Amino acid sequence: MTAPEQSFPLRTHLLDRLHAVQADHGYLDSARVSAIAVELRIPVAEAWSAATSYPEFAFEPEDGTPKPCNGLSCTLRGAGPDAAATSCTFQCYRAPAVGHEAAFPEDVLRVAGPVMASIESGMPALAKVGRMSADEALSVLDASGLRGRGGAYFPTARKWRGAMEQGRPIALVINAEEGEPGVFKDRALLGLRPERFVEGLAIAQRILSPAVTIVFINGEARPARESLERALAMHEAALTQPVRVVSGGGGYVLGEESTLLNALEGRKPVPRLRPPLPIESGYFGMPTVINNVETIANLAVVFAHGAAAFRALGTEDAPGTKILSVSGNVERAGVYEVAFGSTLREVAASAGADDSVAALFGGPSGGFLPAAEFDMAIAPGPGHETGAFTGAGAVVFISSKDDIRDAALSIAQYNADEACGKCTPCREGSPRMVEALRTGKLDEIELLMDVVGEASLCGLGQAAPRPVRSALHFWPELFR
Amino acid sequence: MTIKINGTDVAAQGTVLDVVLASGVDIPHLCKDDNLAAIGACRTCLVEADGRIVASCSLPAEGVKQVETHTDRAVMLRRGVLELTAAMQAPAGEGAFGGPFAQTASGVYEVAEVRAGAFDVLTGATEDGSSEFFSFHEDQCILCGRCVSACQDLQHISAIGMAGGGRSTRVTPDGDVTFRDSVCTSCGSCVAACPTLALRPKAGGPA
Repeated sequence: MTAPEQSFPLRTHLLDRLHAVQADHGYLDSARVSAIAVELRIPVAEAWSAATSYPEFAFEPEDGTPKPCNGLSCTLRGAGPDAAATSCTFQCYRAPAVGHEAAFPEDVLRVAGPVMASIESGMPALAKVGRMSADEALSVLDASGLRGRGGAYFPTARKWRGAMEQGRPIALVINAEEGEPGVFKDRALLGLRPERFVEGLAIAQRILSPAVTIVFINGEARPARESLERALAMHEAALTQPVRVVSGGGGYVLGEESTLLNALEGRKPVPRLRPPLPIESGYFGMPTVINNVETIANLAVVFAHGAAAFRALGTEDAPGTKILSVSGNVERAGVYEVAFGSTLREVAASAGADDSVAALFGGPSGGFLPAAEFDMAIAPGPGHETGAFTGAGAVVFISSKDDIRDAALSIAQYNADEACGKCTPCREGSPRMVEALRTGKLDEIELLMDVVGEASLCGLGQAAPRPVRSALHFWPELFR
Repeated sequence: MTIKINGTDVAAQGTVLDVVLASGVDIPHLCKDDNLAAIGACRTCLVEADGRIVASCSLPAEGVKQVETHTDRAVMLRRGVLELTAAMQAPAGEGAFGGPFAQTASGVYEVAEVRAGAFDVLTGATEDGSSEFFSFHEDQCILCGRCVSACQDLQHISAIGMAGGGRSTRVTPDGDVTFRDSVCTSCGSCVAACPTLALRPKAGGPA
């Protein structure tokens, strides 16, 4: 069941209206955005600031030719330089990709665990939660040790309790933005196993009793959105409240949770200050629980067989599985659901990436790692001191015929291009970091890595030096 | 409740920046206007709070035990950010304005420690003299957001936004029109809030 439009504040319709007008006219301009602003009673300056921040909105006519992707996985798979190319389109499983996404292919699901397993029948976990009080269910969740799968691995039960203790109506927001190059596992989940996600969402609604439930999904992930909406309609009766689905307008920073909240409220997509945390004051000031798609789907696994069964896979510290998105120079790119504690070496073997010399682990916020370090485990936490970490689970394998220097420059350039512009260190520092890397100004790079990494406002800026730091650490000779 | 600022106990009221300034220690805070909520964009008010580098303008003092404003790390990082900020401004021309931080650069902002020309200067070039009362000079703008906040949160006019992203971000009235063609009422709040005189009064006002 999806939520009726009129039940939300006017300004929350900004993204929908921008998408609709662009679909009708092919592109946006000042007059069209101003008209939307007047209709939604948003100041024109604010609507214009927001609209011009999203890469998916065009401000001049486009010819409609499918654009090739020039993300790292696609260039590793032979995408050449192309003036019309666009940054990562999250189809690394079919690199080199051209054009928009199609329905997620079932055969790209390479290894399924409990979360990606095919669905037998009904919603057994939801039925069990239905017989528990919210407190009992929270105890089970606590005992399961479930941690957030968006990359920060915060204990889910603790986040929920933190919001519930505020004693005010809660907003439940699902982060399905998945705008990180190399990551496509939420698309796989929503495309192939949407019922498991909906079951998890229904469980979250039972326990949190939210006043509003919103799924914020990547604007390019149209097939995943359609699949999700079909499942929501089919399982309407399972949900305690309608679910609003909102499509974003692109940009890496949109996955940063406070940026996502600004986008939902019709504001410019830039990070908010913290404190306050979203659980204290998030969506329109409400205590807000923001969970990743994979976290929500895991609820259906936790409650189907209980906390002890959930802990049978994974480690003491990180029970359960992680869905990895594997791409780059591998025989079998795709989605791999593996137990926490598995190593990159095992992933490489299973994906047919045995001749890899390196990997980018953790996407543009992670780092490069030589094959000698592939004993690194899939695990929460900061990962390798130079940058590589599990994060959202992107693994891009790099073979001996690939150019690691080019790969590092391309990822550094991506981080610079994706700076939202709000804070000075990231906006001004990250482009200069690319230039210093290109020209081998090592003293300047050191200073910039420190400044961008420690002075930036949000996690994106703070993580931007990691690919650079790791590449310089392991392959210093390439950058002299 | 008190908080130690460089070893001295000070009453913990407001944000860490409030307490630092109240204790008589001066640190830069280019985007924090006394009359406006914290923006957190300029990142020049960095200090070490309980061993962690933080932007002091947006961290409540409550719960913080110890703040050091001049550790080597804090000074190095502030200087780095100030140097990046300075590189957003065209050097001083023949007029009275221009150069690193213009009016706010005077002494206290550790400008002595900022290496001139540490980074190549990259600035925008828009000039908007359409208002009778003030003009906008993008080559002095450091995108701190104080004008946007003053216009929106203090005056509730919301004539000014920040269009675009990354290094293409620019201060923009309405949907990319001039100040004269926007809903601007020439109230002057943005001019008063601007820390660099990128927005500056026209001498004598309208003829």
